[in-house]
Amino acid sequence: MTLPTLPTTMVGSYAMPGWLERLKTEYFARRISRHDLDEIYDAAAKAAIKDQEIAGLDIVTDGEPRRDNMVDYFLERLPGVQIDRSSKKFYYDFYDSSVQGKLPMASLGLVGDFSFLQTFSERANKICITGPHCLTKRIRNQFYPNEEALAVDIARVMNLELKALVKAGARYIQIDEPYFSGFPEDLGWCVRALNTMVDGVDAKIAVHICYGNRYGKPSWEGSYRYLFPGILEAKVQQLTMEFARRGGEDLDLFKEFPNQFELGVGVIDVKIHDVETPEMVAERIRKALAVLPPERIFILPDCGLFHLPRDIAFAKLKAMVEGTRIVRKDLGK
Amino acid sequence: MILKLNHLQGKSAAAGAQDVIGTVYSLLEEGQIEKSQFARLQVELDWIQYKQNFRDVVIATQGYNAQGQPVPIMDIHVDTRQVEPGCLRGAFLRALAHTHRDAPQHEADRLALEDFQSLRTSIVWQFNRLYWSRLPDWEKATGKGYEEALPGGVSDGHHPQAIADSVGDFWTLLKDMDAKNQLPPEIFLLEIGVGTGTRCGMWLNKFRELDQQRGTNYYPKLRVLLGDYSLATLDMSRPAVREHADLCSFLVLDAVNPLKTLSFLRHKVLQVHCTNVYDNLPDEEVVRRDGRLYFVQVRAYVPMEEVVRLSTEFDIPIDRMRSTVDRLLSASVDFLGDPARGVAFWMEIWKSVRLEERLVLVEDLPDFPFPEGLDASKVEDILQNAPADFRFHLSSGALESFIRTLPLLHPRGYLQVQDIFVTDLDQYRLGFYGPGKLDGSLLNWVNGALLREVAERAGYDVHFAPFHYRKGARTSVLYTTRRE
Repeated sequence: MTLPTLPTTMVGSYAMPGWLERLKTEYFARRISRHDLDEIYDAAAKAAIKDQEIAGLDIVTDGEPRRDNMVDYFLERLPGVQIDRSSKKFYYDFYDSSVQGKLPMASLGLVGDFSFLQTFSERANKICITGPHCLTKRIRNQFYPNEEALAVDIARVMNLELKALVKAGARYIQIDEPYFSGFPEDLGWCVRALNTMVDGVDAKIAVHICYGNRYGKPSWEGSYRYLFPGILEAKVQQLTMEFARRGGEDLDLFKEFPNQFELGVGVIDVKIHDVETPEMVAERIRKALAVLPPERIFILPDCGLFHLPRDIAFAKLKAMVEGTRIVRKDLGK
Repeated sequence: MILKLNHLQGKSAAAGAQDVIGTVYSLLEEGQIEKSQFARLQVELDWIQYKQNFRDVVIATQGYNAQGQPVPIMDIHVDTRQVEPGCLRGAFLRALAHTHRDAPQHEADRLALEDFQSLRTSIVWQFNRLYWSRLPDWEKATGKGYEEALPGGVSDGHHPQAIADSVGDFWTLLKDMDAKNQLPPEIFLLEIGVGTGTRCGMWLNKFRELDQQRGTNYYPKLRVLLGDYSLATLDMSRPAVREHADLCSFLVLDAVNPLKTLSFLRHKVLQVHCTNVYDNLPDEEVVRRDGRLYFVQVRAYVPMEEVVRLSTEFDIPIDRMRSTVDRLLSASVDFLGDPARGVAFWMEIWKSVRLEERLVLVEDLPDFPFPEGLDASKVEDILQNAPADFRFHLSSGALESFIRTLPLLHPRGYLQVQDIFVTDLDQYRLGFYGPGKLDGSLLNWVNGALLREVAERAGYDVHFAPFHYRKGARTSVLYTTRRE
């Protein structure tokens, strides 16, 4: 599938409607069945896909309505991870989880999500998966000698999953690693785990690195400088990063440390409800174009749209698409 | 009938309680209270903490549906502190008469200052605003500063050891961030409701001293924002921080919406502090009865005998009393031509203002205009573990202030609120905590239990620590920690 210059996509999640939050909570309270919840998820995913198509995105995701948060969805599926299911009061909370033995190799069952996405949209698509560093930080490690050993074993399991996704047709996979920015000292082993995860995976691999979006607010502040030069060892094709909320200052790092990565440029601030104008978006894209050629740039929001009301999320996506069109016109594309 | 006894006053209440029971039975036997009404009546004694509380000795609160028709719910509240010998029966009859709209004396014994409405929008908050905008006039007339009106005559916010501990905690945070190379070039602190500026001045003195002792040089990086919605108060606070003037900025801001003024500092402020602010923000009340929710509507009025007295004293015709109050609130205290006379009228009318109330059934909870941060599903969750029949504050102003302050916090930042909190909804079983009159202002205890629940959904855990620095202090310190 041919993509236009400056392809537009989401980081992963779309707005989580209040009604869906309530229904998730109903499920936890044993007031609706798993079957009904799955049907609700399907309907919500279809609506999220349709919104992205109408907004004009070139690459769509399923909007991730099935995920309570970016961690539990994967930990629940990772074989060998013990979950305390009584530890959660609100669906968005994290479970208490632990690893007490070596993780066995087994499927996480993500191909089903991907097949659903393929069935309901003919557009190019992307599937997003939380990376081993982030998952490791949320698990109480009671077996492995250190965090790296656990992360690498998670990456080995994930590697099988990525290969299964590729076999099912996935061409663009994003690995989410929001905790990198909170633990810059981990970068060396983070990259080693990432490389284990993507080893032999025949797809475009992006890594999303932001400053956190838990409860719609940043978890850390600082500069992306910590990523360089360590991240250059990552065997991935694309980095997606937030530049709308934080400004474009760190774009210069791509000049300072020459590399071959594509850059997913965050041009939509997901932590405020004010909707950007297309002109603001265009200006943010132009800043990135001053550093990288257009063929190496993808256009995204700073992070997932999970915490935004649906109407605002939709308006932001539309502004992102319109702003991108302005720049494409400038470029004669 | 359900009789609910409280013991808020901490002294003998038995005699008063016996009088009330005797009076209610005699009214029943005389037919003043119908049997069907008696069966559903809830009588609560010593229900409200503050002695200056806007309420008559006996108030009867009738329930209505959303269409304005009476429903068979009635609460009677008795403040036995105010009972004078031989007056209880009359007070009961007067209160009951007001639940019958067609009763002849329904409106004759009072001058209504407004229609029934939410406490949040009541005229009493206009009085509160007048107080803070003309504070020097009030203080001049009373001959004492407003802090002298506080219990103990001094703000707990100024306690030297409490300030030293706060400084120590903040310095430790900065040191930790510094060690991780996360210290921002400018360190923003915000105090909302600065009062005299005394706390801020003491805090900065202590911080400078500690910073010098430890050689960390954080002090020059501080950017201290002193916020208050009253220019008069901000002006009063300047001398207290004179030594730190280069670090300080003074901002007129609405405590209910700090984000509106300071959105450019979103995610940048490392410490937000406020003392005795939330208790002075507009509030609303809700009653839960027999599994249903009722919204408390109030109407401010002045008892007619007080209207007559003020009319004579200030030479204002009775039929112009209502418009005179409006002029006071819009044109301020100069309206009588003589500011001193204007202040005197203001003080007297404020002393006389009462609130009557009614309960209005909340039939459509999802569409109820909850304050920002709260919605029907959260309220339902919160009420799951709450008492079955109780009255509670929505603390609307405090809640909105809280929810509109959190986005200012840096990822490592925290909010500290020193105030009077109900920290568990169960506490409302023991009585109700406001509103009361404090000098010319209002105060309400703050529903901390509600704040805690709302904070969780906004990504913060809320903790309450009793203020242990002064024996007998009733304030607590709310502080936030980031929720994982």
